[in-house]
Amino acid sequence: MAKAKRIFSLLLRLLALGATLSAAIVMVTSHEKAKFFAVSFEAKYSNTPAFKYFVIANVIGGVYSFLVLFLPPKSMLWRLVVALDVIFTMLLTSSISAALAIAYVGKKGNSQAGWLPICGQVPKYCNHVSVALAVGFIGVVIYMLLLLYSIHTALNPLLV
Amino acid sequence: MAPEVGEKPEVGSNKVPVKDTKGWAIRLLPLLRLLAFFATVSAMIVMALNKQTKTLVVATIGSTPVKATLTARFQHTPAFVFFVVANGMASLHNLLMLMLEFTGHKFDFKGVRFLMMAILDMMTVGVVSGGASAALFMGELARNGNSHARWNKICDKFDTFCEHGNGALIASFLALLLLTIITTISIIKLQNLHYSINHSVLP
Repeated sequence: MAKAKRIFSLLLRLLALGATLSAAIVMVTSHEKAKFFAVSFEAKYSNTPAFKYFVIANVIGGVYSFLVLFLPPKSMLWRLVVALDVIFTMLLTSSISAALAIAYVGKKGNSQAGWLPICGQVPKYCNHVSVALAVGFIGVVIYMLLLLYSIHTALNPLLV
Repeated sequence: MAPEVGEKPEVGSNKVPVKDTKGWAIRLLPLLRLLAFFATVSAMIVMALNKQTKTLVVATIGSTPVKATLTARFQHTPAFVFFVVANGMASLHNLLMLMLEFTGHKFDFKGVRFLMMAILDMMTVGVVSGGASAALFMGELARNGNSHARWNKICDKFDTFCEHGNGALIASFLALLLLTIITTISIIKLQNLHYSINHSVLP
């Protein structure tokens, strides 16, 4: 029973690691150049601080998952893992939320502020970023499942 | 089912005694919840009443300036709408938890109350962090603009709107900090419960 729990937990952490790292990698490789009335227009993820925060948060989440993968099962550090899980889930939630807010402005624009949508000029970049955000969202969901599961195993609160 | 906890046998009830209920961290919990409630309510109200109308010169035809009256409202940006909704939900959650704090011992059933409080606290932390960070980055975009996307900054024209948004954001981040501390204390309560149950079954 304990072995099955450990294997399930390891599997979840591997999935979380994969999701967060691939979200970061897909976002970093999004890049498109477009010509717009003889003005060269380059769209990169580093133009927007929200996307930079998204990449950094996902890299940190991925590194954390990678480190927890190597934690021995009977160590005292599992309670710390529960606390750190809460913190990193919160970090990932905030990063996906911020990136989605800015991506929404990029896609639909904001007529009251006079901001035009840029997805019309760089559609490939837009699709690339959408894929990165979708994978990041999956990573957030997996992190939430991991959090609930680590509370269940480390604290076993539902008694008898 | 008779309660099998032996440390503090309670007279005829399903109550689960919690070790160290009156520890300093746990006694601090209602005060922290009250503070978090005030923080989320003030963040929500300040952002919900955020509005500024200004008459700007948009063009000059000949020698007569063309003026337009523009209004900045929080509803124009979905990120701010989400911010208001998230803080509203968090303040409702805090209010509910405050009430449960004082009346909840009647509804206890084998410690499920503590588990539900911990899980709901974590969900609220997630929601508030999402709302606060979306509003933060949207506010940063409004303050600095984005030259690559040709988006102009709007804070230089609508300064009161931006200041009120700043204040609401600070209140929300304070609420987030308090909620994280509250979540940690709720998880500690859960763990104390687990220990008190476990140790009572040992011979």
